[in-house]
Amino acid sequence: MTHLGTLALYLASVLAVYAIVTSLWGVRTRRTAWIASGTQAAYAVGGCVVVASIALLHALLTRDFNVEYVASYSSSTLPLHYTVAAFWGGQKGSLLFWALIHCLFSTIVLFQNRTRNQELMPYVTATLMTIALFFLGLLCFITPPFERLSFIPDEGSDLNPLLQNYWMTIHPPALYLGFISASVPFAFAMAALATGKLGDVWIRTTRRWALTSWFFLSLGNLLGGRWAYEVLGWGGYWAWDPVENAAIMPWFTATAYLHSVMIQEKKDMLKVWNMTLVILTFVLTIFGTFLTRSGVISSVHSFTQSGLGPYFLTFLAFILTVSIGLLLYRLPDLKSENEFDSLLSREAAFLFNNLILVGLAFATFWGTIFPILSEWVRGVKITVGPPFFNQVNGPLGVMLLFLTGIGPIIAWRRASWSSLRRQFTIPLVVGLALGGLLFVLGYRNYYAVVIFSLAGFVLAGILAEFSRGTRARQVMLHESPPQALGRLVGKNPRRYGGYIVHVGVVLIFFGVAGALFTIEKQITVSAEQSFEVGRYTLLYTGITEREDAHIAAQVATVNVLVDGQQIDTMYPEKRLYKKQNQPTTEVDIRPTLVEDLYLVLGSYDEPSGLATFQVFINPLVSWIWIGGLILILGTCVIMAPNPAERQAFALARASADIRGEAVAE
Amino acid sequence: MAAKQSKFLIGALLIVGAVGYLIYTSIQETKVYYFTIDEFLLNQETLANTDVRVAGRVQDGSIQWDPAALTLTFRLMPIEPGTIPVGALPPGVAVSYQGILPDMFAEGRDVIVEGLYTPDQQLVASTIMTSCPSKYEPEIEERLQSS
Repeated sequence: MTHLGTLALYLASVLAVYAIVTSLWGVRTRRTAWIASGTQAAYAVGGCVVVASIALLHALLTRDFNVEYVASYSSSTLPLHYTVAAFWGGQKGSLLFWALIHCLFSTIVLFQNRTRNQELMPYVTATLMTIALFFLGLLCFITPPFERLSFIPDEGSDLNPLLQNYWMTIHPPALYLGFISASVPFAFAMAALATGKLGDVWIRTTRRWALTSWFFLSLGNLLGGRWAYEVLGWGGYWAWDPVENAAIMPWFTATAYLHSVMIQEKKDMLKVWNMTLVILTFVLTIFGTFLTRSGVISSVHSFTQSGLGPYFLTFLAFILTVSIGLLLYRLPDLKSENEFDSLLSREAAFLFNNLILVGLAFATFWGTIFPILSEWVRGVKITVGPPFFNQVNGPLGVMLLFLTGIGPIIAWRRASWSSLRRQFTIPLVVGLALGGLLFVLGYRNYYAVVIFSLAGFVLAGILAEFSRGTRARQVMLHESPPQALGRLVGKNPRRYGGYIVHVGVVLIFFGVAGALFTIEKQITVSAEQSFEVGRYTLLYTGITEREDAHIAAQVATVNVLVDGQQIDTMYPEKRLYKKQNQPTTEVDIRPTLVEDLYLVLGSYDEPSGLATFQVFINPLVSWIWIGGLILILGTCVIMAPNPAERQAFALARASADIRGEAVAE
Repeated sequence: MAAKQSKFLIGALLIVGAVGYLIYTSIQETKVYYFTIDEFLLNQETLANTDVRVAGRVQDGSIQWDPAALTLTFRLMPIEPGTIPVGALPPGVAVSYQGILPDMFAEGRDVIVEGLYTPDQQLVASTIMTSCPSKYEPEIEERLQSS
């Protein structure tokens, strides 16, 4: 099977080259047969990569330890689902996984557009296959996943224990889906620049892909946070680690794009800016992959240092040269005659939200590469850690939250004073009342008070929108309230789905702000001793040992009491993964809507019987995950089939056709 | 028209300025110098009362850990012996730490210590990071071969 896999990868590389050459040559010579042949080849690339992936999965599942990758990332006692996850648990496999998803996406795109966008498609094929070729080249020549050892080991050395967690089985795929789907809007952007068909069509064609990409980036980041929270055991979910930064930067620019693209649709403005954001998002996904794999920056979850860095840098330089070159070439065609009218308008809110989002991406980028920059410039490596990112991104996030309350409800073009009064009275009153209430209740953490008031401001604005729309339908169409609400959302899923996403984002802000009230305590106790943390009394009753073929664990039993009443029992563990002889910490978390009780068994000293615990009380963390679920729900609503959108799309296409004919005549 | 557009320009510049100001001041306030232990030892006279991050190796037999008080002291040594002539510099630096031991912490391990270097030549650590497990992947081959 592995020989077949290697063969498939070589064949895929050759076919990708063929697809690029024939697509571009076909356009140049205006021969549709060549273009069609290029498309067929692109499908075949997908087929080959599927074969290679099945070969690797087969080797993992049959525990073929002669294959170096299988021996390095799995073992005979590794449970089945983690054996499957080992596919993307190591460097080589994850590159193959990347190629697999990319080729599947390419296939879907080519199939969706088999009769549409005929001018754009050859360039789309060429761009997508160039990206595929890069990863296939790495797989064939630099990191061959099917490499065999000169001997057959009896046992593999197992998947990294930190990766043996159910969130870890879905977090990397979610993030990869987000990273990789960013290449579809990029490919269409390149095609639009290459053909000069810079109208609405490419944007509308890729709207769902941009949303899909944003959706999976959001999901990947949330799941990554969840994984860190449960597995890394330091009490938090986000540490501004370079790899986390790599994942959040494209999310910032993708979010900016989803907003600014509305201005292009409405006002035919910001074309250069939108093009730049699409390119930037894609470049940041490749940059993120580079950060994780090159070992240039040390991080908790980077792969082994490898020689991949220079290849990624070369590829990045190539992408930047081509895309910036094309953008400059088309710059005169991307000018818009329209202008912004008023600062009190939705355009202005979106524009400033874009600047802040790009600012967030830039600050994160700057902090991440600062060690490298400072070493180049001054010869000293200077690092900045979480305090830097919190100090910069915190205030920017608060400004963004404020704009989240304004953007969706302020009028387009120019808001009149009467409309402002109508729209903003309720949210302002709610926000100020909430802030005043918190102040009276004795909250003096002004950061938190501001965030909570703004959260109230934004939520009130959104709820008022829903209730206004629902009531209007009730009165005018005599519908029942649930019916009116359902039809309101159904008629305009894009708008109301967007509001739902905003509710999710606000709840995530709310949950993150809870970190301002975290309580932490470290304590060493012997059996049957109790200690106090916050409102809890924790009684440590002792350690039990547990062992199977895969792990050996020491499990502490801790009774949780509030006001003398036992409310729960928690079992934090120390584990030893036998194959890798690696100790890990398994935290136990007791989540509630108000706060999480997060219990870590820091160490257990067998001779003295002393156990050291680290306890965190993390307020509001649950709201991050609830907000995440609402965000997912909202995105699903936005993606729902939308008759109005289809009409607008048909109109845009027709007008583009008319313009095209006019040119041809 | 021009006046209207300039209002946007001012708004945009304010945001860009705010981002730049936040980045600049936050770097000044939170920067930490990153050294290998060799670089640190060469420069240590100038580093008193500075926040530093030092990468080195835990000296064999130097660990003193009190599980009740959660206090740890150890010596951080150069990773490659011999890069600095013997006797030219004090051998390593004393590290003290209060808190829970990282899972992978052990003698002979490579660690990154972040903390304050005090005038009495102690590195008072706020965090100790053990190199990530994947760093040990090259050992797999050896372990496989010996089995």
